[in-house]
Amino acid sequence: MADQSSRQGPAGARLTVDVEKRLPGLDLRVQLAVDSEILVLFGPSGAGKTTTLNLIAGLATPDAGSISLDDQVLLRKNRAGAALDVPARRRRIGYVFQQYALFPHLTALENVAYPLRSGRLGRRSPDAAPRARALLARMHMEHLALRYPHELSGGQQQRVAIARALAAEPRVLLLDEPFAALDSAVRERLQLDLAALQAEQRLVVIYVTHRLEDAFAIGHRLAILSDGQVQQIGRIDEVFRQPANSHVAQVMGLHNLFEARVLAVSPEHLLLDWDGLLVEAPPQAADVGAAVTAYIRPEDVKFLYPDRPLMGAVQHNQAAGVVLGQQASASFQRWRVLLSNGCEIEVRAPDHTYASLPLQAGQPVQVSLRKDAVVVLRPLLGAPL
Amino acid sequence: MNWDALRLSLQVTAVATLLIVVVGLPLALLLARRRFRGQTLLETLISLPLVLPPTVVGYYLLLFLGRNGPVVGWLDVQLLFTWGAAALASAIVGLPLLVLSARAAFAGVDRSLENAARTLGSSELEVLWRVTLPLARRGILAGLVLAAARALGEFGATLMVAGNIPGRTQTLPLAIYDAVQNRDYAQANAMVLAMTALAFLSLWAARRFERGGARPAEAGSGRSE
Repeated sequence: MADQSSRQGPAGARLTVDVEKRLPGLDLRVQLAVDSEILVLFGPSGAGKTTTLNLIAGLATPDAGSISLDDQVLLRKNRAGAALDVPARRRRIGYVFQQYALFPHLTALENVAYPLRSGRLGRRSPDAAPRARALLARMHMEHLALRYPHELSGGQQQRVAIARALAAEPRVLLLDEPFAALDSAVRERLQLDLAALQAEQRLVVIYVTHRLEDAFAIGHRLAILSDGQVQQIGRIDEVFRQPANSHVAQVMGLHNLFEARVLAVSPEHLLLDWDGLLVEAPPQAADVGAAVTAYIRPEDVKFLYPDRPLMGAVQHNQAAGVVLGQQASASFQRWRVLLSNGCEIEVRAPDHTYASLPLQAGQPVQVSLRKDAVVVLRPLLGAPL
Repeated sequence: MNWDALRLSLQVTAVATLLIVVVGLPLALLLARRRFRGQTLLETLISLPLVLPPTVVGYYLLLFLGRNGPVVGWLDVQLLFTWGAAALASAIVGLPLLVLSARAAFAGVDRSLENAARTLGSSELEVLWRVTLPLARRGILAGLVLAAARALGEFGATLMVAGNIPGRTQTLPLAIYDAVQNRDYAQANAMVLAMTALAFLSLWAARRFERGGARPAEAGSGRSE
């Protein structure tokens, strides 16, 4: 069905980006080619994700590079100076900001109608109000059209912001951590709506996030941005299975990725079988018996002190193991631990956290996988169009 | 009641307020948005009339508008001892009140809102008109009311550059001074009442207007969750 509507819908586009910009403490050098798909741009904070979006949108100027949308050049610049720089207002690139950025002096409806009354589409189109209403309805916000932004919840504000961006008829939609501040139920619904919109309008979507779960929930392809460079770009499962380099693996926290089978689903938890080790995860929808991929950040694996009572968070998911090795980096220490199920897991903690615990290689230990931190990755929405 | 003085006062205040808006708003925007060499110097110069005695401001204006000053020398315009000089003097003492308030208001406008407007197809002028100015409106209006009130009450500098010519440059504050000097307390009472009423009305109207137009009641706090 999605396939059919996309064939009838607008033609797809292709955005190519090759820009560099020197920032304090970061040399940004980004090369991307994005088709009508959802590309998740993932990276730690400070990697240059937002700057990349600003460069694409025309809100910041690179030192050198080129940006084009299909065969229209949006920017071409060498170090000597700009040859061509299409201003943001003419780029047809929509931008959804993390903090919504709705105009506080306008109602939801007026916010969405804003671009319809403005230069590019402008000429004060008489059907601005009905069109804005239709877009609000598309985002399930029609009943709140006359509310002001401060009278709306975060999720509702972000729906209005998406409707407003669409009103400008963009071919590219940039989203900067759009749902980061929302709770998971709201976030999931918005992600589904966004995926449907992308398919319907054949948008080029770049979705910036620092949450790997988002990549699985919504992305067709995944680009890893770290230290100002795109380290790897590809289908999500590929990037996961074959990180291009150890840097990517580290950024993604891939050390503690594991395959498991769903044993039970209940309102309190999801029970996983990881090669014989029982792991409790936060409750979520899943099929009993299904094979899933899950991971836990090394920071969320804790060593247990044998002589101390167990407090709430570490009561779950205990496992016995043996320390294989220890590594110290800047202010962190990392340990590799062989668990009783034969799998390795990484533990990471700030210096001196476990100062009183003997943790040299060969030492038998007890660890706990913090239940709330076990992330079960949702399957892909589908292959790119 | 000295109707000539009242009329002149309103005329001088209106022209002075217009001057303040035309010069002050761009200045406030510039100071809020750009960092440039000599910025502190410019800020200090603009604020100087707030702390200088009006007679000092008047004296500088006298030099500026006088026979050897640039206005006569280059433009051949004789402003001295006309109501135009009174308007200029009032504008200069009122200007800092608008600039300081509007500058803070501009600085308080979230830049990401302006960026959002740009990605939605707005030109810089449109961003200013449809986003920046409406969001800075409160601060601008507050500054404007204060500046206009200050212009209306201008006395010292006006006396020095425009004189005290009844019917031609004598504004209400000057007429009140004259009436008191001549022990014409009936006149003085009427004009003092008129001044007080004008000042009260403008402040009250500004507040009324603010509340009437207060659709986004808390413009700034709207985005906090």
